[in-house]
Amino acid sequence: MSQRYVPRTPLGRVINEIEETLIAAILGMMTLITFVNVVARYVFNSNILWALEATVFLFAWLVLLGASYCVKIRAHLGVDVMINLFNPAGQRVLGFLALASCLVFSILLLIGSWNYWAPFANLPEFDGTWRDQIWYEVNDIPMPAVLAWLGDAVNQGEAYEKMPRFIPYAVLPLSALLLVIRFAEAGWMLIKGEVTTIIASHELDDAPEPPAATPRER
Amino acid sequence: MEVVLLFSMVIGFLMIGVPVAVSLGLSSIAFLTIFSDSTLASVAGTLFNAFDGHATLLAIPFFILASSFMSTGGVARRIIRFAIACVGHFRGGLAIASVFACMLFAALSGSSPATVVAIGSIVIAAMRQVGYSRDFAAGVICNAGTLGILIPPSIVMVVYAAATDVSVGRMFLAGVVPGLMAGLMLMIGIYIAARIRNLPAQPWAGFSEIGESAREAGWGLFLIVIIMVGIYGIPGLTPAIFTPTEAAAVAAVYAFVIANFVYRDMGPLKPATEEDYPLPLVRKPHALVTAMLHPDTKKVLLEAGKLTVMLMFIIANALILKHVLTDEQIPQQIASSLLAAGFGPIMFLVIVNVILLIGGQFMEPSGLLIIVAPLVFPIAIELGIDPIHLGIIMVVNMEIGMITPPVGLNLFVTSGVAGMPVFDVVRAALPWLSILVVFLVLVTYVPWISTALPHAIMGPETIIK
Repeated sequence: MSQRYVPRTPLGRVINEIEETLIAAILGMMTLITFVNVVARYVFNSNILWALEATVFLFAWLVLLGASYCVKIRAHLGVDVMINLFNPAGQRVLGFLALASCLVFSILLLIGSWNYWAPFANLPEFDGTWRDQIWYEVNDIPMPAVLAWLGDAVNQGEAYEKMPRFIPYAVLPLSALLLVIRFAEAGWMLIKGEVTTIIASHELDDAPEPPAATPRER
Repeated sequence: MEVVLLFSMVIGFLMIGVPVAVSLGLSSIAFLTIFSDSTLASVAGTLFNAFDGHATLLAIPFFILASSFMSTGGVARRIIRFAIACVGHFRGGLAIASVFACMLFAALSGSSPATVVAIGSIVIAAMRQVGYSRDFAAGVICNAGTLGILIPPSIVMVVYAAATDVSVGRMFLAGVVPGLMAGLMLMIGIYIAARIRNLPAQPWAGFSEIGESAREAGWGLFLIVIIMVGIYGIPGLTPAIFTPTEAAAVAAVYAFVIANFVYRDMGPLKPATEEDYPLPLVRKPHALVTAMLHPDTKKVLLEAGKLTVMLMFIIANALILKHVLTDEQIPQQIASSLLAAGFGPIMFLVIVNVILLIGGQFMEPSGLLIIVAPLVFPIAIELGIDPIHLGIIMVVNMEIGMITPPVGLNLFVTSGVAGMPVFDVVRAALPWLSILVVFLVLVTYVPWISTALPHAIMGPETIIK
C-alpha cells in the first residue's frame, strides 16, 4: 500500500525533507504536550492551560499541511474498481476528469480559506470585502514574547494578551494553496503520461514470489 | 429529493477515481453553493472546526502512533510467541494462536490494518512453513485482523463517539465482550476446520515457555493495563486518571519508551547486527535524549503522521458533509419518514445493517461512520435503541466492510503482507467471513452483549434529547 516516493531533483529532496520533518515534528509535539500536561496535573498538581488548544491547532496543521504531501506521494485512498474496467485510453480520460474535480475542489477551498482567514489578518477578501477582525484572539494560548512586536505592527500598537487568531488559521489558505500546487503537479504528470490515476493504487507493484513452502493440503 | 443528488455526486466522484476525501468535500461544496446561501468561507471554517470542535478525535493520532511504535518495536513478535506458547498445541494451533495474537494486539492498537500488518507479516510465513496453505493463513489473518477496531482501544469507536457525542469510555467498554466473543468464535471455527482438514499442532512447550514468553511480552501487554486503568480507574481504589485522549498520548509515550529502552528493537540502543545483544542503557546514557531525535523515531512518527493525515483528511471532509446534512435537517426528515412508515426497532436495525454493509464496501469506515451515524442516530433514540448498542453494531458492520471488496482495507493490506493477489485474498477470507456475519446477527439482536459491561461499570446510559 505504501508508495515509495523518491524525489528526483535536489530541490525536490529539500522540500521532501522539510515536509517529512514537519509531519514527524508536529505529531511528536502534540504527543509530548499532551503527555507533559498529564504529568503536570498529577505530579505537579497544575494544569497547562493552553495544552489542549495548542494540541488541537497542531492537529489541524498536521492534517491540513499533510494533505498536500499525501497528494504528492499518492497516499489518498480512492476506489479504483471501476477505473480498472476501462482500457488505458478510458482510464486516461477518467484520470483527467478526476484530476479536474480535485483541482476545482482545491481552488474553491483556497478561495474559501482565504475569505475565512483574511478578516482575521486584516486583509481584503476575494471580492474586496474588508472586515477587520485582527484583534480576535485564541482562547488559551498566551502570546509568545518573540511575537510581541506583532501588537505594534498590526494591532494599532495594542499588545496581544493571547495569540491572535490569524496565526493558527493561517494554515487554511496555506494548505489549500499547497493542495492546488500538488494537484496541478499531478496533472502535469498525468499529461506526460507518467501516472494514470491520482489515488493510492491497491495492486502490488511487483508481486513477490510466494514463500518457499510445500502446501500439504489441496 | 436533493439529498439523493448529494449522495449521487459522492458516488459519482468516487467511481471516476477522485480520492475519498475530495469526493466528500467537493460534493458538499457543490451542494451548498447550489441549494443554500452558505459561503465558501463557511466551508473552510467547518473544515478547521473538524479539529477545533472535535477534541475527541485527538485520540486518533495518538493511538496510531502508539501502535506504530509497538509494531516497529518488536512487541508483535513477543505477543505471537506468547500466544503460540498458550494455544499452539491444539489442532490448527498456529492459526488459533494467530487469532489470539491478533486479539492481544487489537487491545494495544486501534486499527484493523495495523493489526494485520503487525501480526500477519510474521505468522503467515510461519504458518506456511509448518504446512498451512497460503489461502488458509491469509484468510484467518484477514478476518482476525478486523478485531482491531472491535477490541478497545478503537479508532472507529472514537469516530462514532465524536459523531454522536456518546462517551468514548463507554464505547471502549462495550467492545470488550463482543471482541472476546468474535475472537472465540473464529478460534472455534478454525479448530473445527483443523479437525476436518487434519492441520498440524505445535508441540506443547510447557508452562516454563508460557511464563518466559509472558514475561517478555508483559512490557508490551502492560499497555492494556495503562489504558484501561487510566480511563476507568480501579473500583474502590482510584477514580479515572485521564481522558481517553490523554490515555492515548500516554500510551504513545509508553510504547516509545518500551521500544527504545526495554526491547531495544529500534533507536540508539538497537544491536548493530542480528547476533549482537542490545546495548544496556548504562553504557550509553545519552540515548535518553538521542532516542527522541533518532532516525528510527522520526520514521515511526512520519509513518504514523501519514496514516493520521490520510484518515483525518477523509474524516474532516466527511464532517463538512455531515454539516450539510444537519443544516438541511435531513436526519430529521429521514427519521420522520421512516417512523411514519411504521418500522420497528428490528426492521430499522436490518436497514442500518444493509446500508452499512453496502456502504462499507465502497467507503473508508471512519468516513462512512461520520456520515451515517448522524442519519440513523436520532431514529435509533426515537425507537429506544441504546446508542452504545447501535455503535457496536456499526463497528461490527465496518469490520465486515473491511474484508469485502472492492474497498476492503484489510484485503489490500493482507494481499501485501501475504504476497498474493487481492482477488485470492477475497476468496480465502470468504469462509471466515460467514462467522463474522453470524456474529453480526448475534450482536444486532442481543443488545446485552454490548451493553452489559458498560452498564455494570458506568451505570445505565442517560439519553439527553
